[in-house]
Amino acid sequence: MKYDLVVGLETHVELLTKTKIFCSCANKFGSEPNTNCCPVCLGFPGTLPKLNREVVNFAIKAAIALNCEVNLLSKMDRKNYVYPDLSKAYQISQFYEPICKNGYIMLDSGKKIRINHIHMEEDAAKLVYKNGDTYVDYNRGGVPLLEVVTEPDISSSDEAREYIEKLQMIMRYIGVSDCRMQEGSIKCDVNVSVKPEGSDKLGTRTEIKNMNSVTFMTKAIDYERDRHIDLIESGEKVVQQTMRYIEATNSTESMRSKEDAQDYRYFRDPDLVDIILTNEEIEKIKKTLPELPDSRFKRYVNDLEISEKDAALLVKYKNVSDYFENASVNLKIPKTVANFIVGQIFRTIETEAEKEKFEILTTPEQLNEMVGLIESGKLTMNLAKKAFSKMLESGKPVTEFVSESDMQGIPPEEIEKMCKEAIESNPNAVKDYLSGKEKALKALLGSVMRQTRGRGNAGEIEEKLKELIK
Amino acid sequence: MISREEVLNLANLSKLYLDEEEIENIRKEMDSMINFANEINSLDAKCEKLPEINNISNAFREDEIVESYPQEEILKNVDGGREGFFYIKKSN
Ligand SMILES: [Zn+2]
Repeated sequence: MKYDLVVGLETHVELLTKTKIFCSCANKFGSEPNTNCCPVCLGFPGTLPKLNREVVNFAIKAAIALNCEVNLLSKMDRKNYVYPDLSKAYQISQFYEPICKNGYIMLDSGKKIRINHIHMEEDAAKLVYKNGDTYVDYNRGGVPLLEVVTEPDISSSDEAREYIEKLQMIMRYIGVSDCRMQEGSIKCDVNVSVKPEGSDKLGTRTEIKNMNSVTFMTKAIDYERDRHIDLIESGEKVVQQTMRYIEATNSTESMRSKEDAQDYRYFRDPDLVDIILTNEEIEKIKKTLPELPDSRFKRYVNDLEISEKDAALLVKYKNVSDYFENASVNLKIPKTVANFIVGQIFRTIETEAEKEKFEILTTPEQLNEMVGLIESGKLTMNLAKKAFSKMLESGKPVTEFVSESDMQGIPPEEIEKMCKEAIESNPNAVKDYLSGKEKALKALLGSVMRQTRGRGNAGEIEEKLKELIK
Repeated sequence: MISREEVLNLANLSKLYLDEEEIENIRKEMDSMINFANEINSLDAKCEKLPEINNISNAFREDEIVESYPQEEILKNVDGGREGFFYIKKSN
């Protein structure tokens, strides 16, 4: 029998606010343990949490960017559980009235992955295990999170990957999170089930907790799908339970079964008051959002005639896309700028992390100046490419590497003379060309280009050669 | 009356271990608490206008850092912790 895979994702995104969600301790990754702490984030009795306004603003930004409605009235609830990462024995979260609902992320195929809701909550402390003992660092306790919960609309591990990558990209564009998997600033819980192909009835699901790598997440989904199918095929039942993914063996194991499923006994947190928002505030925040990656992508492909592949590379990181925008100001053909970024700048950048930062010596203004010279016919593409390599190494402007005479071009009579010489000294190439071998012309072109030391315009020379041979 | 199973479930969720005598005592105590809270239901609450007990909203804080407590202070109640961490020894 064939089966459909059904996946829903709950993604936790750590916010880039300066302070924690309910106290004024710094929200900072990588500090000495327990140095960004106070009685509020340690959950001392008698302390009073107070909601960080910026967390609400970030949630509103996320809502808009993820096509959600903002709930004008939302509330904070207590999620009760006992574990060393949570000294209060409850996490402050939103359960009954989350701040955003009903959104979606659209995949490249046009399929919408619906978002059920987004809620605000505090992160728990970090546990470090050493020789069986547990060490607790409360710096992460109280760090603000948004949890983005999808409907079970995802039907393959590839779709799950695309959804997460799109979510990361959007969160980075709107500046609410850096979404760095390896630093744990984005994590997801994955709900997996299978059902007979085309059936309306969902199968029993299992939940894989705390995935912090997209690659492992896709492997875990595929493993869990196969495990479910094997169970069903052999006449057994899938048990609803929480799983942990084991990287070393690419498999999953049970963390706890339904019998001791958590009963969080959610209730309204009496320490925190209602959050009441107005449409005016939401509109105001909407105006501060940058153009989103999907919109940029469409504009690059449709209006600027950049290939889909290059456009995707440009929009993937906001810094790259912003650089492209700034370097394209007032140019006739921004595509030339895109070619320099994808063709030459990316060759000097090794890792994805470096692309994300996009710290390069050449400023967008310098690239803009150089492409401007190409457009006005003063600089040939050939010379520009050579100059640009040197610009990238030194951070100096184009004028440092091309002389006035380079930019003056070569008089047409000079070009004609060079072409004639090339034709006379390469009779075989001419013969080949005349017998239909288009490529033979390239040899002649190359010879003339060498003569001009790269200053000639290849298109012009090619035309001249054709004209002379006929 | 609150059942024995309900008490055991709550104890389990709170990581509490109760003996038989404690279970029976807690059943009685919780019952009296619930009955007390239920008295509210017996009130005639159909007055003209309920007093606004929760008319505060949007008690926000600006996103500005205030210096945290020193690590020694944070770990004072746990005998200084270990290597800057709260320390939980493996239970046998
Ligand atoms: Zn604090």
